[in-house]
Amino acid sequence: MEQYKKLKILSPTLREKERYISFKIISEEPVVYSDLESVIWSTLLEFYGELGMSQMSLRIVKNLYNENGQTSVIKCNNKSVPKVIAGLGLITRLGESRVVFKILKVSGTIKSLNLK
Amino acid sequence: MKFFDLHVHSAFSGGTSSLEQLASTAKELGYTGICFAEYFQNENQLKKLKEEIAKASRNVAIEIYLGFEARSPNELHRLVERRKMFDILLVQGGNLKMNRLACETPEVDILTHPENNRNDSGLNQVLLKSAAKNNVAIEVNFREILLASKRTRNSIIRHVSNNVRLAKKFHAPIILCSGGISHFELRDPQIMMSMANQLGLKPNETKDAISRIPENIIKQIKEKKSEKWIMPGVRIRWNNIKN
Repeated sequence: MEQYKKLKILSPTLREKERYISFKIISEEPVVYSDLESVIWSTLLEFYGELGMSQMSLRIVKNLYNENGQTSVIKCNNKSVPKVIAGLGLITRLGESRVVFKILKVSGTIKSLNLK
Repeated sequence: MKFFDLHVHSAFSGGTSSLEQLASTAKELGYTGICFAEYFQNENQLKKLKEEIAKASRNVAIEIYLGFEARSPNELHRLVERRKMFDILLVQGGNLKMNRLACETPEVDILTHPENNRNDSGLNQVLLKSAAKNNVAIEVNFREILLASKRTRNSIIRHVSNNVRLAKKFHAPIILCSGGISHFELRDPQIMMSMANQLGLKPNETKDAISRIPENIIKQIKEKKSEKWIMPGVRIRWNNIKN
């Protein structure tokens, strides 16, 4: 059986430039990660559509979600940072509680987000 | 960088949050100052509001301004007569008559949501030339976009983008406000700037719309409220009078 070979890694100049957006959730009650993920995806999909979302390379970084501090990180490409931030502003509810997002930092690496 | 939100409704004007809740959330989001837009009833209400605002600003370290939003020509006339008694004069747009009156009155600071409940954008070249001449800021209201959905949101965004395009062309000032009636309807300045960016403003113009233009409005108000001020470009120099 023929095995698939891994692709050769692209050189840094050919790779898509990524940005990490860290944000804080101000809410009436603590928010669960699954709610956050589904609401972000549904809101942005509704606002920008499938094509718009495909051009953002959006990913919510699960292992950087801090349940105690209510902070999280979204990864996207450098060109769609204003789109993602504007989209976050359209979220009014997470589960049962009303929410406001505070953008903490936009950075090119996770390290420079200074999450700790 | 200083950020201002000059259109927030408290529990005194149909809102659901208290002055302190709104002020503390605004502070947490990174605002330097906010303005509570109230509906004028009488001078006793004005006194009471001033006391409440003084109390809130003592508890929360943020600049708080008192504004009144006129909803009819009569209300606007009454507010223009009492212009020195409060900080910011806003006019509720949407009605073509009110849009025109706001743009043509130099005492007005902000025309709020000119496209509200309309099938068009509510502004044209004539009104925007007057707004630029009288330095009336055209508001981009975030709450309208936030609460609408699907086809309604589509048409609101289209009208707001149209207003932004025309205001840029005729050099009328544009201002970003949340228009929130609850502290959960306030938005981070960065979110407001990103949304304005989607509506057709360039990044430096979005910064101006949330920082420089509101700051200029506040500066002008402080100048107008001083005893030395007579009219734009004319003010008393006490030293000369004494001599």
